[in-house]
Amino acid sequence: MNHQLPITLSVNQVQHSVKVLAQDTLLAVLRDKLSLTGAKRGCNQGICGTCTVLKDGSPVRACLSLAINSADCEITTIEGLATPESLSPLQSALARSGGVQCGFCTSGMLLSAHALLKDNPEPSEDDVRVGLSGNLCRCTGYKKIVEAVLEAAREIQE
Amino acid sequence: MQFHQPTDIDEAVSLLSKNQGATCLAGGATLVAMMNARLAEPETLVSLKGIAELSAIERLADGSVRIGAMCRHRDTAQCTILTDGQLLVNAAAACIANPVVRNMGTIGGSVAFADPAADYPPALVAVGAVIEITGSEGTREVNAHEFFVDWYTTVLTVGELIVAVRVPAMPIGSVGVYHKLARVSGDFGIASVAVVLSMLGEICQYIRITIGGCGPTPVSLPEVESALAGQSIEDDSLHAAGKHLANACDPVDDVRASAEYRRVVVQRMVVRAVKEARSRCGNTE
Repeated sequence: MNHQLPITLSVNQVQHSVKVLAQDTLLAVLRDKLSLTGAKRGCNQGICGTCTVLKDGSPVRACLSLAINSADCEITTIEGLATPESLSPLQSALARSGGVQCGFCTSGMLLSAHALLKDNPEPSEDDVRVGLSGNLCRCTGYKKIVEAVLEAAREIQE
Repeated sequence: MQFHQPTDIDEAVSLLSKNQGATCLAGGATLVAMMNARLAEPETLVSLKGIAELSAIERLADGSVRIGAMCRHRDTAQCTILTDGQLLVNAAAACIANPVVRNMGTIGGSVAFADPAADYPPALVAVGAVIEITGSEGTREVNAHEFFVDWYTTVLTVGELIVAVRVPAMPIGSVGVYHKLARVSGDFGIASVAVVLSMLGEICQYIRITIGGCGPTPVSLPEVESALAGQSIEDDSLHAAGKHLANACDPVDDVRASAEYRRVVVQRMVVRAVKEARSRCGNTE
């Protein structure tokens, strides 16, 4: 019964042909089959936000998305947000502000923040806190992350 | 595990009735989390994402609003065609979990799962919503207050699926208020109160109050509502209403709060929510 099904996943604008079980989550396939380990497995219950990726531009939990149900979508992971040579304004601001400590939440934070700024290019501090409310960080206390997103928003506007 | 992605409702119904142990996959926000925790291992998944008609929100000629089962909480929260007391449904949708989960979870999935601590059940009971269901035996409509029958249990039978939730027109000038008490933003509520109220001057014309998170199903008492209607809303009658409703609740002790705490707090939440609704009625006159 547990036979593998062939699907094509479009991740960061690259087509990948993979075989998956129906119950395989998008997170498991990204990490274990495509070696895209930027999305982290935290709670695997949709609570912590470390697995956040963009599906057709909107943020979703990769741990709550089945890979087989994601085959007709464009997936963006942290690996697709910028190049190693040139960080995105959000990434630079986060590095400058010290909004990264252990780094486990960082990719999810960045993708949620990216989606937030796309919908709302000039967010208030409260908008940022609400926008990131589904991403838990156990190190920084959030203050520097929120400051970094506000700073990046100002930079992008200029 | 088998996986199917039908493109119309008839095909979905046929798959559900042909495969014993088949489960609908809507947004995945609950079902996939349960699969990850090995609390659910459906033999067959029927994904509803390919059925475009399940994602529509439309206003019907009688002023009711029909929300397709696959409408995400985010779409429902931002929907601009709900009016008057129907806005209670926007308010409930807007406080579910967090923006990312609201981008995944659907009204049909939430209602079918029937978590008593979820935000839609009390709101849908308060607005008198109708759940549209289809199955191999045909279609049927069930009022929200009859749809939820016990903890995580609804009237849905094997092979049936929710097609839409219809929110009837609410009195012109009525307001909807949804108050949720939670330990942290985005958590399930310790308790919640949904109110629809319309006032004419100082007199309550129409009121519906429903409690969530305090028992197996949403709690409402028609006799409490009829005692308040046609009167000015005095503090004494409001406290009495809160007390009646709290006594009708059957809360449990859990990680979020004790049953005793829920009974105390829900009484005060009723008073606060109705007072807020009353002040908002004044502002729209």
